[in-house]
Amino acid sequence: MTNAVIAGYARSAFTPAGKGALARVRPDEMAADVVRALVARTKINAGDIEDILAGCAFPEGEQGLNVARLIGLLAELPLSVAGATINRFCGSSMMAVHIAAGAIAMGAGEVFVCAGVESMSRIPMGGFNLLPSPKLYAAKPEAYIGMGETAENVAGRWQISREMQEAFALESQRKTAAAQQDGRLDEEIVPMGEAVRDGCLRPETTAEALAGLKPAFSKTGTVTAGTSSPLTDGASAVLVCSEDYARRHDLPMLARIKSVAVAGCAPEIMGIGPVAASRKALARAGIEAGALDVVELNEAFASQALACIRELGLDAAKVNLDGGAIALGHPLGATGARITGKAAALLRRTGGRYALATQCIGGGQGIATVLEAI
Amino acid sequence: MEEIRSVAVIGAGVMGASIAAHAANAGASVLLLDIVKPGETNRNAVAQGAIERLKKMDPAPLMGKNAVRRIKAGNIEDDLGALKDVDWIVEAVVERLDVKQELYKKLDAVRKPGSVVSSNTSTIPLKELCSGLPGSFTRDFCITHFFNPPRYMRLLEIVGGEGEQFAPLHKFADEKLGKTVIQCNDTPGFIANRIGTYWIQSALVLALELGLEVEEADAIMGKPMGFPSTGVFGLMDLVGIDLGPHVNASLARLLPQSDLFHAMNRDTAMIGTMIAQGYTGNKGKGGFYRSVRGADGKRAKTALNIQAAAKGDLEWRPSVRAEIALVKDARNDVKKLLADSSKFGKYAWGVLGRVLAYAASLVPEIADGIADIDAAMRLGYTWKFGPFELIDQLGAEWVCAHLAQLGLTVPPILQQIGAGKFYRTNAAGALEQFALGGGYKPIRRAPGILLLDDIKRAQKPLLSNKVASTWDLGDGVLCFEIHAEIRHAMLNMLDGDVLSILEKTLSLVGKSYKALVLYNDDLREMPHKTNFSTGANIGMAYMMANIRLWGKIEGFIKDGQKLYTAMRNAPFPVVGAPAGRALGGGCEMLLHCSAVQAYAESYIGLVEVGVGLVPGWGGCATMLSRWQEDPKMPKGPMPAVAKVFEIISTATVSRSAAEAIELKFMRPSDGITMNRDRLLGDAKARALAMVAGYAPPQAQALHLPGPSGRVAMALAVEGFHKRGIATDHDVTVSGALADVLSGGKVEYAEELSETDVMTLERQSFMALIRTKESQARIKSIIDSGKPLRN
Repeated sequence: MTNAVIAGYARSAFTPAGKGALARVRPDEMAADVVRALVARTKINAGDIEDILAGCAFPEGEQGLNVARLIGLLAELPLSVAGATINRFCGSSMMAVHIAAGAIAMGAGEVFVCAGVESMSRIPMGGFNLLPSPKLYAAKPEAYIGMGETAENVAGRWQISREMQEAFALESQRKTAAAQQDGRLDEEIVPMGEAVRDGCLRPETTAEALAGLKPAFSKTGTVTAGTSSPLTDGASAVLVCSEDYARRHDLPMLARIKSVAVAGCAPEIMGIGPVAASRKALARAGIEAGALDVVELNEAFASQALACIRELGLDAAKVNLDGGAIALGHPLGATGARITGKAAALLRRTGGRYALATQCIGGGQGIATVLEAI
Repeated sequence: MEEIRSVAVIGAGVMGASIAAHAANAGASVLLLDIVKPGETNRNAVAQGAIERLKKMDPAPLMGKNAVRRIKAGNIEDDLGALKDVDWIVEAVVERLDVKQELYKKLDAVRKPGSVVSSNTSTIPLKELCSGLPGSFTRDFCITHFFNPPRYMRLLEIVGGEGEQFAPLHKFADEKLGKTVIQCNDTPGFIANRIGTYWIQSALVLALELGLEVEEADAIMGKPMGFPSTGVFGLMDLVGIDLGPHVNASLARLLPQSDLFHAMNRDTAMIGTMIAQGYTGNKGKGGFYRSVRGADGKRAKTALNIQAAAKGDLEWRPSVRAEIALVKDARNDVKKLLADSSKFGKYAWGVLGRVLAYAASLVPEIADGIADIDAAMRLGYTWKFGPFELIDQLGAEWVCAHLAQLGLTVPPILQQIGAGKFYRTNAAGALEQFALGGGYKPIRRAPGILLLDDIKRAQKPLLSNKVASTWDLGDGVLCFEIHAEIRHAMLNMLDGDVLSILEKTLSLVGKSYKALVLYNDDLREMPHKTNFSTGANIGMAYMMANIRLWGKIEGFIKDGQKLYTAMRNAPFPVVGAPAGRALGGGCEMLLHCSAVQAYAESYIGLVEVGVGLVPGWGGCATMLSRWQEDPKMPKGPMPAVAKVFEIISTATVSRSAAEAIELKFMRPSDGITMNRDRLLGDAKARALAMVAGYAPPQAQALHLPGPSGRVAMALAVEGFHKRGIATDHDVTVSGALADVLSGGKVEYAEELSETDVMTLERQSFMALIRTKESQARIKSIIDSGKPLRN
């Protein structure tokens, strides 16, 4: 089996939907800018790219049609580079990495750009034409459950108190602000007009301010806007290629893709999805959670992130070293490539051996990737 | 310069910024300049900050979302050069002669030849502003005195500005800013503040002298006299207590010692103490009234003990509603209150008598005619009646006889009027005003101004009952007017009687006329507080529901649908001309017009969900059509449906006619009239312009999403319900609305007609009105005017 490696990672700044610096930027163009920069930074021969696999949770409107192909054309990649749009909601662009790794393993290509994009300013969650199945809704209404409600369910079932969620959110804000302050995020960001740094974070957040917020999804609930990831615009991309190709072209390899997994769970507790997926991926990698040096666990909500950390027995000190989505933002389709690329970059930065990138997915799923240092 | 297209406002305080906002509402491109704040890197920070505040102010100074984009911020150090392209420069800086004059010199150096410059001063006479300045400047300079808030207060006092060079300014002020321009003489306080300040001072001083509490004074000096219902103390809180001393001081400085003002310019120590301690009214820590949080955490209204305050002690006590029998009776007989010997009667006449005498004594000093004075007080101080109209109501002889009690001499014009009236209708049905020196002269309306009141003076209605009438506007155009009063308020609710006159009117126009205008006015009310129509008479529906006359209710809905459809399909143009609120069935009436010419202050919306119902007279059907036709909407079955669902399920009401266009209660091709007095004339002109080759609009086929769309809307409501934003019954009502907007059990591939959707409207309406929760909502509105959130 041919090994797949991550040989490059770039993203746009993540900015608040509606009011941020990317609110007036088309998502296809945003993603093309990131892809173009990734290709330029890695200095690969663009003609070697087999396919652009672009993840997007609501692929319609300006991120519709086969947006992956359009991103390739906008980025002025050679016409020979193909493109496919991948949708696994929030897991879309991590799924793109998995597909690329699988293709490389079976010899179906050597170089893949795995991108992700979401403009939550311009394409609403649920899309422009939400038309649920009346039959499914009658039989299993939870199939269409709102994400905030799932966060409440997880908080309830795993007994994650509001105070715990707020402490986690505060820490996420602190870590992200410190990373920004120290310039640890600069390298990965592709500047676009005024969007030169991440815009969602709120470094001024205090425990008191968080405690004063009203519940966002249920009047008796514990989840607030402060303990949820904000609506965000952004794009990201990682370069996935065969280890052999990377060595031939002297690319700086960040990490090897050791194992991958997806798993379903009950839609009403979708936030717990990373647990089953991560367990599978860890087993496939032949390691225990204790062997992980770096974890990128997407913070869709503080409640589900905490529940996953507890269930998986993760060391909180190794989770989201440069902060997470509560502070950084969560542009649905773009998050998977960000956390996979980030986990790879952190593995290299920290000199650790194993990293896990994992996230929950609406509808009740989880996705996980185990990376190994080279 | 032929017309004013660009305006600069210098001074971005509350008034300056609000004037800039209103000039932008009027369609002008606006430059707002202020100083460069020392130590600030952004040199336009002051003006920019003011523009940001405009977006948040309440009441909103801006109409619709486009207006603010027309305002550009700048500063007086870097941007005076830009004034070379500006047609009208308004100065609204601090009330200091030296500052203003220094600025004028700078303006004169850069301004465009032929441009006009005006000051928004309220306290400095024109001759002082002009002294020492070159004739080339003063020739183009005048005072334009706006009232706060400039968007809503219809008065614009102009001092000077009578030359031909000011014609574009007058036209812009009238037609674009929508102001009634009153030409004032260059006397202190001009018209409205001269009389208004005297009124406020008298009310303040006499309340202290006679030992009244603020609630008592306000109960008397408000509604019973047709003055603002806040009364004088409430009014001071509203406009800002700190404004008074500036105006008082300037009047004291400028008015001759013989002026009655001086006798009333007392007791300002209390005001000084209040201001010094930050009690400047609603904008500060409170004023004569304060809302204070009690031990139970609830806010309660408190009132200042003014007797103690006059001695320098500010103490507030729980506010008590004044229960004065005379005041309650005043609606029927205000003279009984005025002639009463109690302290309440003495207060009522003490203030009113002085104010009427003072106003009468100021003709011709402050204005040429009494009608200008009355208009200034109505439009600048929101009095329902001006002083001379009040004298006419009381009888001039009665007023003269009672002035003696106050030890006041009777002013010449009051002596001259004798037993006569200041206003009369001549033989031709035209209104005339009494002129000093005896005799009457006609009140001329500017070209384009058509008032239904004038029409009514000169003719009898073609059709009429107690709630609606039809008038002949001439040129083949009829006017259908609703005048349905409920509990002393012109709510103009729609019932069978209103609809029957409309039905007969449609038939009459079809036979013998060319076009129809739907219009009414309530000139004694602030235009933005008036009602085109507040919708179907829910009181009647409630009664019928109580005795389970379901067939009757459904019949009423069917009749309305039939009539509105007939109106839309009529072979002649029907122009809706709303001002103020057009809600529910009133909104649906407009949705079925060939065109709408709306007063800028039109508040249009489908608010049925507030009473637990859904629009039943085609509101859903027409709104779906309009949103589906919009080429800017994303494709597919849901976007238009979701938008209409959002608008109706949240009972969204436009905050201006401009916003009504954004919400599609009006079409982009519909017209907006800024000057209330021009609305009827504009509507008539629009109707006439549509007559040649008129064809009624074609009904649109609708593609609706069916049951899947119904689920999508249910999901949204479910989320709001869990968050506690939607109540239990909201879920039911929204569900019934979703039944209509989704098209029921339709397949997306099938076409529906608007009539099909109206059938769904009727079904949902009937299902809802049978629920006890919707009935409880209706009852709550009838009983208290407040929506029930069950």
